[in-house]
Amino acid sequence: MNAPAVALEVRNIARNFGGVVALRDVTFSVREGEVIGLIGPNGAGKSTLFEIVSGNIRPSGGRVAYFGRDCTTMASHLRRRAGMCRTFQKVRLFESMTVRQNISVAASQCLPKGRDLGEEVNNILAQMRLEHQAERRPSELTLADRKRVEIGRAIAGHCRLLMLDESLSGLTHDEAEHLIDEIMQLNRARGITVIVVERVLSVLAAMVQRLVVLHNATVIADGTPSEVAHDPVVIEAYLGTKQKALR
Amino acid sequence: MEAALPESARGGVAKPSSEADARRRRAFIYGLIAFLLVASLPFLPVNNYIIAAVVRALIFISLGQAWNVVAGIGGLLSLGHGVFLGIGCYTTGILFNQYGIPPWLGVWVGAVLSLLVALVMGSMTLRMRGVFFALATVAASLAMVQISRHFVDLTGGADGLALKFFGNSWWAAQSRTPAPFLYASLAFVTLYYWITRWILNSKLGLEMQAVRDDEVAAAAAGVAVFRTKMLGLLVSAAMTALAAGLYMQFYMAIDPEAAFGLSQAIQLQLPALIGGLGTAWGPIIGGAVMIFLSEVTNWGGTKIGVSGVDILVYGLMLLVVVLYAPKGIVGSVLRNAMKGADR
Repeated sequence: MNAPAVALEVRNIARNFGGVVALRDVTFSVREGEVIGLIGPNGAGKSTLFEIVSGNIRPSGGRVAYFGRDCTTMASHLRRRAGMCRTFQKVRLFESMTVRQNISVAASQCLPKGRDLGEEVNNILAQMRLEHQAERRPSELTLADRKRVEIGRAIAGHCRLLMLDESLSGLTHDEAEHLIDEIMQLNRARGITVIVVERVLSVLAAMVQRLVVLHNATVIADGTPSEVAHDPVVIEAYLGTKQKALR
Repeated sequence: MEAALPESARGGVAKPSSEADARRRRAFIYGLIAFLLVASLPFLPVNNYIIAAVVRALIFISLGQAWNVVAGIGGLLSLGHGVFLGIGCYTTGILFNQYGIPPWLGVWVGAVLSLLVALVMGSMTLRMRGVFFALATVAASLAMVQISRHFVDLTGGADGLALKFFGNSWWAAQSRTPAPFLYASLAFVTLYYWITRWILNSKLGLEMQAVRDDEVAAAAAGVAVFRTKMLGLLVSAAMTALAAGLYMQFYMAIDPEAAFGLSQAIQLQLPALIGGLGTAWGPIIGGAVMIFLSEVTNWGGTKIGVSGVDILVYGLMLLVVVLYAPKGIVGSVLRNAMKGADR
């Protein structure tokens, strides 16, 4: 059986802001259908890496490839249309629009020819359990629903790689569990590759197959959650103690 | 060509309901009554001064509707829309006076020139954000004031350009009475209302509103931000230049300050700002209120020997709207009455 294709390849990425090194020599890859976590403390470079991969920031060096195609200089809206989707650390919705319109914007840009736009929007609303909120504006929703809308907008139309930027933060334990279920459902049902950025390992351990750990602007570990949790470099640099890591 | 979105993707402004349908019907009926009332003015016992005041209101409404497309729907605070007004006026006037080309054709040349200027302006400014874009458009306006002053042979310099008068003439689109302009300006307002409605319900409108709300999120949703802004600017520029042709025929003269000046640019924005940015009814209601109040206060001012009260009234109206009704009359005062209706 053929191994799954490489969905995302980040190779030797570097980024400086003036004299500040935000990222240096960051390399990792994600296979199609994988769910991986990207963790690191504040200032590790997670957000900068996210912005580079999604096309909002150009790297100072290195390259980003999406399903084998170099997209280092590709505009962010073209990456989205190609199926590279993202959410934001602080939820960013179109506040003047209804939930339905928020999803319609993305679906109308990214839907492959021949598929029905209205049907796709209704499917996304159903999948994200937002049917009853469809005509509401984002300001009328709870944080969990706002995050759900953002994920719905991210996957609408065409999505092969979903990048979630701290989508679980700020949620209650139950809300986070529900959202994790929905994300895993997207991964299974739609075959979407998922990259989840979080600060806390325990949130991700049960969810992801692999973890990439960033520290001081570079990758210090890449492996299964168990491998990472027992990696002395990670324990030393990020987690503090083994007990704390496994808690 | 931007397609209209299917209803299931677009959704309404609010949940479709019989109440919303009733409001929608009511808004349509009020609009129809206002339309018929204005159209019947020449047959009612009102003098030409009143009709001319209504024409002035309608012309400013149509210019406000054009600005509303780029600023209200697209969120681009253009303070330089006088550029397109001026190009429309001067092109129509110069082609008529110097080459005998009737305004019916001249106005289209003005629109094409405006599109070209908007393309150049947009290429240079649309990647700027917020206040920088606004300042760049002011700079473009000020440059146009100087350019129009410089080419005296063409534009009449600082004295301005006056159209040769042919009396009542279809060919020259001129009339001794304001009634024909009433119908022309009413047609413009009606057409621009439908264009605004169409944009609001189209894919382009959704993209423009997304960019207005959050550029980064819009790009992350697949919207081509620069292209969307450019399309909004081009549509608005062409609408402004076409309405400018009517402005020129009605006022019969233009000068650099009246065309490209900052006070004119601000006046173009008032109907939409007062009525409600990004709505189809906003500029219509705002423009009507604005001209009505300025005419009444001007009339009162004349009685007590004070001139220029209208400028003061515009300033006060803007202040009141900014402080107490930032979403304009439609968005704040009439919000509940028009909920669910096509605003």
